[in-house]
Amino acid sequence: MLDKQLIKKVLDKALATAGDFAEVFIEDKFQTDAAMLSSKVESVNNTKTFGVGIRIGQGYHRVYGYTNRSDEASLLQLAEDLSASFPGDPVGIAFELGEPVVGTEHQAKIDPATVPIEDKVALLYRADKAARAYTEEINQVNVRYQDYTQHVWIANSEGTYVKDTRTRTRLAIGAVAANEETKQTGFYGPGGAYGFEFYSDIINVEEAAQEAARIAKTMLYADECPSGKMPVVIDNGFGGVIFHEAVGHSLEATSVARGASVFTGRKGEVIANPLVSAVDDGTIPHAWGSANFDDEGNPQAKRQLIKDGVLTSYMIDKLNAKRMNDSCTNSGRRESYRYAPTSRMTNTFIENGESTFEEIIAATEYGLYAKKMGGGSVNPATGDFNFSVNEGYMIRDGKIAEPVRGASLVGTGSQALLKVDMVGNNLAREQGMCGSVSGSIPADVGQPTIRVSEITVGGRGGKQ
Amino acid sequence: MNYDKLFDLAKQKGIEDLQVYYSSGTDFDVEVFKGNLEKYTIADTARLSVKGIYNGKMGKVSTEVINEEVFEFLVDSVIQSAKAIDSEDEVFIYEGDKEYKKLDYLHNNSLDEVSAADKIADVHKLEELVLAQDKRITMVQAFYGDNASKVLIKNSKGLDLAKEVNGAMLGAFIIASDGKDQRTTYEYKLTNDYHDFDLEQMAKEGAERVLSQLGSEPVESGKYEILLKNNASCSLLAPHISMFSAESVQKDVSLLKGKVGQTIGSDLITLVDDPFMPKSQRSGAFDDEGVATQHKELISAGTLTGFMHNLKTAKKDNVKSTGNGFNRGITPTNLYFENGDTAYEDAVKSMKKGLIITSLDGTHAGTSAISGDFSLQASGFLVENGEIVKPVALITVAGNYLTLLKDVTAVCDDLKFNYSFVGSPSLLIKSLQVSGI
Repeated sequence: MLDKQLIKKVLDKALATAGDFAEVFIEDKFQTDAAMLSSKVESVNNTKTFGVGIRIGQGYHRVYGYTNRSDEASLLQLAEDLSASFPGDPVGIAFELGEPVVGTEHQAKIDPATVPIEDKVALLYRADKAARAYTEEINQVNVRYQDYTQHVWIANSEGTYVKDTRTRTRLAIGAVAANEETKQTGFYGPGGAYGFEFYSDIINVEEAAQEAARIAKTMLYADECPSGKMPVVIDNGFGGVIFHEAVGHSLEATSVARGASVFTGRKGEVIANPLVSAVDDGTIPHAWGSANFDDEGNPQAKRQLIKDGVLTSYMIDKLNAKRMNDSCTNSGRRESYRYAPTSRMTNTFIENGESTFEEIIAATEYGLYAKKMGGGSVNPATGDFNFSVNEGYMIRDGKIAEPVRGASLVGTGSQALLKVDMVGNNLAREQGMCGSVSGSIPADVGQPTIRVSEITVGGRGGKQ
Repeated sequence: MNYDKLFDLAKQKGIEDLQVYYSSGTDFDVEVFKGNLEKYTIADTARLSVKGIYNGKMGKVSTEVINEEVFEFLVDSVIQSAKAIDSEDEVFIYEGDKEYKKLDYLHNNSLDEVSAADKIADVHKLEELVLAQDKRITMVQAFYGDNASKVLIKNSKGLDLAKEVNGAMLGAFIIASDGKDQRTTYEYKLTNDYHDFDLEQMAKEGAERVLSQLGSEPVESGKYEILLKNNASCSLLAPHISMFSAESVQKDVSLLKGKVGQTIGSDLITLVDDPFMPKSQRSGAFDDEGVATQHKELISAGTLTGFMHNLKTAKKDNVKSTGNGFNRGITPTNLYFENGDTAYEDAVKSMKKGLIITSLDGTHAGTSAISGDFSLQASGFLVENGEIVKPVALITVAGNYLTLLKDVTAVCDDLKFNYSFVGSPSLLIKSLQVSGI
C-alpha cells in the first residue's frame, strides 16, 4: 500500500502549480463472482482491483486522473500532468497528514476472503433448488453470487486522511416460468454491507429464491395490463425505485448545481403532498448503500430531503457545495478509482405514514396495484420517468383482483410527488445498483406502500 | 512481462492450457459547461485476465496488479475457480486460425496528432455553436473523449495475437425550454478520424431536434401506425440482441430457438454483423478467444439464418465459432439492419395517422429478451395525412419485438449507429399500442 509520506508527496506535487485543492483516492478491492444456470455452476471469477485517483481543484474546477500504477515516479508524473491544467504559482497550502481515521461501522463478521469457494457455490445450489421446487412451471433459474471487500484510503490537502473497508455481498435470483403460450420472469436480489454472515444471520436463501419463482409464476397467468390514466398503489420496498429515479436524482447536486433539475432553487418550497417525508441515510447499520465515509473522506450522514412535503435538503458533494453556496452533505460517492466523486444517493426512501396497506387498497375503487417494480429511467432535466411493473394486479371495488403483466408507469416526478395521496406504515428497503456520472454504486431504495392518485399506465390490454 | 513463466507455473500445477488476455490503454475525457472546462480526466490503465483449463473446467481470474509476484495467485485462482465449476460444457483454449484479416485502420493517428488543447477548444466551440442556434436553448454540456487500447492474447498452445484500436466521441447534451416545456437531446458522433467531426452540422442538427420537441404532450391512447426513427430503432434492437446468441438458444431462453430457416421478420429486414466496419472500436480481426471474425447475416430478407457462436456453443451445435466469443459473453461486433430503399420523408408522407417515435427510454427495464414484450416511454411526433402535426411525449408504446419485425412495412435508407455500435435505419411499422391520455 502507499505510505503516508508518498501520499503527502503526491499531494504536494499536485499543488505545485496554482491548484487550491488536491486529493488522493486509493482503492484495493478483491471481488468474487459466481454464477449458476441450468443448475450448473457456470463460472467463478476472482478479480483483484487496484488503482489510484488523483484530483486537483482550483475554484470551481477540477481535473482528475487515475492509474493502476503505484510506484512513486508514475504517481508523481500523473500529479504533474494534472497540475499543468492550473498554470501559475502555488497558493501555498500547508497541511499535515496524521494517522488515518479508520471506519469502524458496517464491518463484516465473516470476511468473505476467508470463506472457501465451495461454501459460496453451495448458496447457488440452494437457491436454484428452492426456486425450482416452488412450482413445476419454473423451467429456468439463474443465480448470481457476489462479494467484495473494498479498502479505500482518502487523503486531501485539507488534512483529511481516512481509511474505510466496505464489505458487501449479494445473491441475485432470476426465475423463468413457462407455459405453452409465454415465458415470464421473476427477480429477487437481496444484499447488504455484510460479510458471509449475511447468509446465516440475515436472509433465508430459500425464501429469497421462492420469491423470484413466485413472481415469475404469477406473471405467467396474468392478463395484459390495460392502459390509460388511473390511480396506482405502489407497494413498499422496491417500489421506492420511482422515488429514487424520478425525485432522488433530481435532488443530487450534480443536476441541481447546473440548474438542470426541476428542483433547483426550490429549497423551502412545497414539492410534495404534505403526507410525504423522505430521507437519504448513509449511516443505517450494514445497509447496502451505507459506509463509514463518503468517497471524499467525509463521515457518512443522514439527510432529510423532504419534510411534510417541503424540500429541506439536496444531496451535495464538496465541489458542488462551493458552486451552490450551500453546505456539503457528505454525499460524494464513486464506483471506483476510475471515477471522480460526485453527489450521489446512499439509502434513499420515503418515510412511514399512517395508513395500513389494507386501508390503501380498500380506499381504491379502480386502479393498478404495482406490487413489484422493475427498473426504469428518468430524464433529470424534465423529471419524466418510465418504470416497468414486474408484478402487478388490478384493483377493483377496493379489492386486489386479477394479475396483469406488461405494465409500465409513465409520469413526471414533481407531479407524481404532489399526487401521492396515501402513505402506508410498512416501510421496507431493497437493493439496487445505481448508475450515474460517477459509475455504478450500491444504493437502497425504499418506501412504505403509497398511492398516487393518477399515473399514466402503459400496457397492451387496451383501454378499459 | 514474461508470460512463459506463467505458462510454466500453470503446467507445473496441473493446468492443461492457459491463456492471457492483456489490455492496456489510455483515456482522455473533457466536458465543457458555460464556457468552463468542467471535467478533465486522463487515465492510464491495464488489466490482465487469465483463464485456464483444469480437469476439463475453465477457471478464470483477473487482476490490475500486474507483476510476476501475482503469478502464483493467478494460477491458484484459476484452479480454485475451475474446481467449483460443474457445468459439463466442453471448454477450449484455441490454437488459432490459419489466417486473420489485416485491418490497418483500427488505430487512426489523427487522434494522437490533434493536441489536447485543440480538442478542448473544439468542445468549447461546439458549446458556443449550439447556444448560438436559438434563444430557447438554455443549457449545453459539450463533451469529448477518446481512448486508445492495446490488446494482447497469448496462450500455451502458441497463439499470439495483438491489436491496437482507438476511437473518439464528440457531442453535446442540449436542453431547450420555451418557458413552459423543457426538452433534452444528445447529439454525438463516434469515429476514430478526428477530421470527421463537423461542429457546425452537429450544432445545427442537435438544436433543430430539441427545438422541434418543445410543446410536446401525450396523444390519446390507442393503436397507431409507427415510424420508428433510426436511433429509436437502435435503442429497441439493443436489448433484444441476446436472442441471436447461441448460448441463449442452448439455454432455452431465446424466442428464436428452432427457427433457423424460418421467416421471423418482414422480407424487407436483413440483420448484419460486420466486424470489419471502419471507424468502430468494436471492429477487429479476432474475438477475445482468438477466433477469426467474419462478416455475416443473422437475418436475410426476413429469414433467420443462424446464431452467433463462441467456441463452446459452436462445439455443442457441431458448427464453427462465428467469432463472437467476447469476454463479456457472446456479443455482436457491429450489428445493424441494412438500409432499405424508402426515403425517410416518403415514409412520413405515406402515413395517414401515425406516430414518429424519435426516442425510447428505459429500454433496460421495459424490455424482455425472453418474452420479446416491451413497454417503453416514448416521444416523437404525431403525423396526420403525411404531415407532422405536433410533438408528442409522455406516452408509452407497447408490443412484442418479433411481432414488430414481422410488421415492418418499409425500411428507410438512413442507417445510423448508436454509441454501442448497434445500427438501424428508420422502420415503418404497421401498428403498436400507444398509451397516453
